[in-house]
Amino acid sequence: MYSLLPLLTLIVPFYIGILCLFTHISWFLESFFKKIEKASLIFATTITLLIAVSMVPDVLAGQTLEIPHLSLRVDLTNIAGVLGVVLIFFLTSIYNVKAEKGGRLKPSLYNFFVLLFLVCMLGLLYSHDLFGVFLFVELTIGVSIILVAHAPNRISPEAAFKYLIITAFSALFVLLGVLTIFVLTGNSNILAIVENPDHLLENSRLLLMVVACFVVGLGADIGLVPFHGWAPDVFPASTPIVNGFFCAEPIAFILALYKLVHPFYIIYDSPMILWLMVGVGLASMIFGVLMAYPQADFMRMMAYISIEGFGHMVFTLGLFTPLSFVAGQLYLVNGALMKTGIILSLGSVFITSGTYNMGSLGGLVKKMDKTALVYIICALSLTGIPPLSGFYAKWLIFNAVYDFLLSYGVIASVLALISLIIISMVSFVYLVRSFHRIFLGLLPENLKNACEVHWTMWLPTLVLAAIAILVGIQPNLILGMIRSP
Amino acid sequence: MELTVFLTLTTATFFTALAFVARSTRRTIHFLTLQATALGFVELMYYFVYFMEGMHFQALIEFFAAFAEWFSAAVVNPLIIYWGARKIEDIVGGLIKMDDVQDQHVIGTRSAVILMGALTISHLLLGIHTYYLIPKKLEALPFISIMFSISVLIMVSSGNPLKILVGLNMAENALFPLLAKIPLSLIPFMLVLMVLVNIVGVFVVTEAYREYGTLSVSKWRGMD
Repeated sequence: MYSLLPLLTLIVPFYIGILCLFTHISWFLESFFKKIEKASLIFATTITLLIAVSMVPDVLAGQTLEIPHLSLRVDLTNIAGVLGVVLIFFLTSIYNVKAEKGGRLKPSLYNFFVLLFLVCMLGLLYSHDLFGVFLFVELTIGVSIILVAHAPNRISPEAAFKYLIITAFSALFVLLGVLTIFVLTGNSNILAIVENPDHLLENSRLLLMVVACFVVGLGADIGLVPFHGWAPDVFPASTPIVNGFFCAEPIAFILALYKLVHPFYIIYDSPMILWLMVGVGLASMIFGVLMAYPQADFMRMMAYISIEGFGHMVFTLGLFTPLSFVAGQLYLVNGALMKTGIILSLGSVFITSGTYNMGSLGGLVKKMDKTALVYIICALSLTGIPPLSGFYAKWLIFNAVYDFLLSYGVIASVLALISLIIISMVSFVYLVRSFHRIFLGLLPENLKNACEVHWTMWLPTLVLAAIAILVGIQPNLILGMIRSP
Repeated sequence: MELTVFLTLTTATFFTALAFVARSTRRTIHFLTLQATALGFVELMYYFVYFMEGMHFQALIEFFAAFAEWFSAAVVNPLIIYWGARKIEDIVGGLIKMDDVQDQHVIGTRSAVILMGALTISHLLLGIHTYYLIPKKLEALPFISIMFSISVLIMVSSGNPLKILVGLNMAENALFPLLAKIPLSLIPFMLVLMVLVNIVGVFVVTEAYREYGTLSVSKWRGMD
């Protein structure tokens, strides 16, 4: 069904961003903009959220909303991701009201780049054109580096540079893959390529190279092992708000990776493609969980938790079965929402205490009860404790893995399940331990005067905790919006 | 492969290799310009002849698109990095001249030469082996691969962030033979993005210099 709604969700934040930029150029508007800088961000994300929600009834009715000449489409394969991204931006922009204290960018520029980041995320989710995906990937890199460099601390330029080099270089692999496919087929529309795959089948070895390029290219942007080098530096270097916005990034990038690799797996179902995805996912899971455990800096711990989470997502989606797609996407959307809840809560702790070091914290539950409650609910949901939302995501992942590996024998299935359960248990242990180190125990002397943050900071996180409980009771709220391609 | 294309790609690869051994930032930027000029030469000449023969509007647009691509890679991007170098000179009030800064590679000259030799031979062998496997449309792939690899060497062996940016641009330019085939409507977007990445890169490097007071990436870490 031809619909302009997907395009509208791109245009609205982009134009409001341009208006913000206009006030940066016009000095006479600067004083006026200072009064509305925070509100304009909330306004833009609210309108985008409303437009995104208005697409849901048609999509649930089985319609595909598309703009064919721009290769943009929204259907049951990506609507959950779209809503997840827009919700994260909406809630984080509310959190931004009191948490954002200024940085290297002027407020108008900051707003422009945040809204451009939202446009990139949505564009990546909508686009079914190889060049479209590459353009949005490259733009996302540029914008996210600027947002990292915005943080007014000493470590941000170094982290931003590292991030720039790794991700900009990896984007060239995406470009190489895209160009190879385009030169071979003369087409850049993914759906059209799948319908007419003869040229690709003649060059199946090149197809494997192309898939490897996509995995390396987008793997580095996502933060998968062994291309994760930037993640542990970027998390502590960015402001908590920017980290909150960044939580939406894996939804767009991982679904883009699936969108680029899955069609070529349909055309040429080589086990190499499958093991490449599964291998990278498995390595990320194990590495992330082992490295997160000993961290004293809670933002570095979150970086490794994210790597572990990305591993779960890519591992599950890389099985390329209908159940694994549903399980992977549920875990992806839920994981991003819960991670936003945790990161924003930790951001509140940082703003109150001025430190990321868990060794200097403790006893904050008495002073920040709402933040502590949100942190533990989101952490438990992320580790898959029932009856929270993460439980269903993990349960479906276990089912998908078990079903897939049954063809390799029951022992392989059981061993894989045991490994996944052990990884989940370790992540449960360090998240609960971090809760204990930050919120329980003795309150340090310098935090005696600490108090709960402003309601604009705890309310968005409370909404995320409520989602964890609601989706836990009624998982169909998200599951109903996901269908395998 | 046509002889002109072969010679052009060989020349571009040679300039990429020279950039690897160049010591000063300014010289490396010069080699970036020369590499991009060589890579764009064939395409630019092709469209120029096509335009002169036909003198029609479509040919003119295609020539301008090719020219814009070449101009961006050979002039705009190197100038952005050069401007970054000058800005850093301004930060220290002209006390440091980029032309005088002789960067030491992370790996020694002898190791670098051996590495380059090994890389060239391995790519040559790979090129011969895959000659009949690679479709005619992708015949430039072995050259792309070797320029890409040398650019990676530039990036990993240099401690100077501006040289790392040059390496990144050279890797990007290596894809030029394939980039020339993209639809016309996409060229402006591609160019804007590539320029944006360079502007962001220079912005981050100048901010880092302001913060740490040095252009050595390895020293940045210790100053956090």
